Amino acid sequence: MIISQYMKQEHRECDTHFAEAEQAAASGDWAKAEESFLTFSNDTLRHFKKEEEELFPAFEAQTGSSEGPTQVMRYEHEQVKGLIGKLAEALESQDKDAYLSLCESMMILLQQHNMKEEQMLYAMCDRVLPPETKECTLENMKKVEL
Amino acid sequence: MFNQNGLSLDQAPPISVVFRFFFSGALFGVLSGIFILFFQTAIFDPHTIEAVILTHTFTLGVMLSFMFAALFQMLPVIAGVRLSSPIQKANWVQYPFIAGVISLLFAFHLSIPWLFGLASLLLGTSILPIVFIMLKNLLDLQSHSSSSKGMLIALLSLGIVVLLALYLTATLGGVIEGSYYIQIKVAHYSFGLFGWIALLIISISFQVIEMFYVTPSYPNLVSRYLPLTLLCLLIVTSIVGIFNFDIWMISNILLILLLSGYALLTLKRLTQKKRPLSDATVWFWRVGLSALLLSMFSTGVTLFADIAVIKTLSYIFFASFALSIVFAMFYKIVPFLTWFHLNSQGYFTAPMMHEVIHPKTAKKHLYIHLATIVAFIVSIFIPQLILPAGALTIISFGWMTYQIIHAHLLYKKIQETGEKFDMGNVH
Repeated sequence: MIISQYMKQEHRECDTHFAEAEQAAASGDWAKAEESFLTFSNDTLRHFKKEEEELFPAFEAQTGSSEGPTQVMRYEHEQVKGLIGKLAEALESQDKDAYLSLCESMMILLQQHNMKEEQMLYAMCDRVLPPETKECTLENMKKVEL
Repeated sequence: MFNQNGLSLDQAPPISVVFRFFFSGALFGVLSGIFILFFQTAIFDPHTIEAVILTHTFTLGVMLSFMFAALFQMLPVIAGVRLSSPIQKANWVQYPFIAGVISLLFAFHLSIPWLFGLASLLLGTSILPIVFIMLKNLLDLQSHSSSSKGMLIALLSLGIVVLLALYLTATLGGVIEGSYYIQIKVAHYSFGLFGWIALLIISISFQVIEMFYVTPSYPNLVSRYLPLTLLCLLIVTSIVGIFNFDIWMISNILLILLLSGYALLTLKRLTQKKRPLSDATVWFWRVGLSALLLSMFSTGVTLFADIAVIKTLSYIFFASFALSIVFAMFYKIVPFLTWFHLNSQGYFTAPMMHEVIHPKTAKKHLYIHLATIVAFIVSIFIPQLILPAGALTIISFGWMTYQIIHAHLLYKKIQETGEKFDMGNVH
């Protein structure tokens, strides 16, 4: 379960930074909100890159399918990226109500996406990928930079 | 090799499927309030026909409608089950179901045997097939989460509740003699309250508490074994209870301990949430879980001392538990779905969640809900207060009805007038 463990850990770290930014925005500390949001968005985008450039291709090569779950995950990544953009706009204009409202949507969208990955896709990766491919994919993911 | 259903692009059912069940549930809620105004404190004695009518309006009309909404929406999202032709299925379920509930209420009120037959036919043919389809889809899943397993068990309980109910209505309709009427009745409401309502809430909470509020996961021991333990307990007790009724005493003590443990654990999880804000939905969960604790405590007291007031309190608290959780889910699901569907269709004018239902609106409903609970409790001691309690019930569900209509109209308006991205290249 090395893929699941590594990727789940990244999800949890992103959640923590997201919550920090939300808390800061709620209490009007926009500088802190900006800092935490930047960490959250960078971590999230790097995580997506790891999946799209390393994990998904490895899974697709193994299963011979690029039409199934990975395509859906890529689509959902685009939805999340769209919301990150809107959150950044709200943050820049210091619009608290808009920011907190977008946080709600983002949290549900992201958690729903994470659950599907954690309960299905990562579990499938751990099941179908040969041990050496898993090790190699994991190492490659650790090297990915934005 | 694997089931891709849960990961398909069009996994979410059409928004109308979810809205329609919330809408009919809320209208049955308004009807409950009207019944309370007419029946007044007769509802506090479980042996009266008024109490039976109100209980079924609430458990069937309100709770089962809401739970259909939750199942149609949550099965694809958290269990990876996609139901084909959801609108058609929802139609097959909803119309005969509503007619069935109304027939049953009339059957209770008028004691007409053929009405029990009609209600059995309508409710049996609307509930059992969808339960079977949902169960079959869940059983076909290759990888299960705690929630999907819990939902499976809860649905199994619902099937049992309906089958037991058919025995009861057949007896009331004069079709069978009903030698085991009392035992089956106890099994029917125990499966309904604990196996179905409580278990479904528990199963869904395994996912949504973590998802909505970013809390640590439930311990594996709880999420894996609690639903199955509850089901086994109910099955064993119901069977043994036919021959030895006293076993319900032991079973009830175990149920109280298990459900209280769950309530305490979830309350603790909510204190560990990473998201700092406590919106109305968090408070609805807290109120609901506290009500579950109080309900279990008062049920525990009645096992050893048969005090009518305490028994009534245990019913009020259990209903408060179930309704609070429904409201908590409602205020997350409706705004999110409205935004999600419009956003997914490419409308960049898709309203944000706060624009669909503002957190302040949800908070106002929380106060109405709290006032309703207090009014019911006080009316046990001051009977005249049952009238404000009934009126508050109408206001509470009326408030909810308005929010659904508002969200629906907003959704339609954006679809008709909103500006849209070209989604061709995204898909």
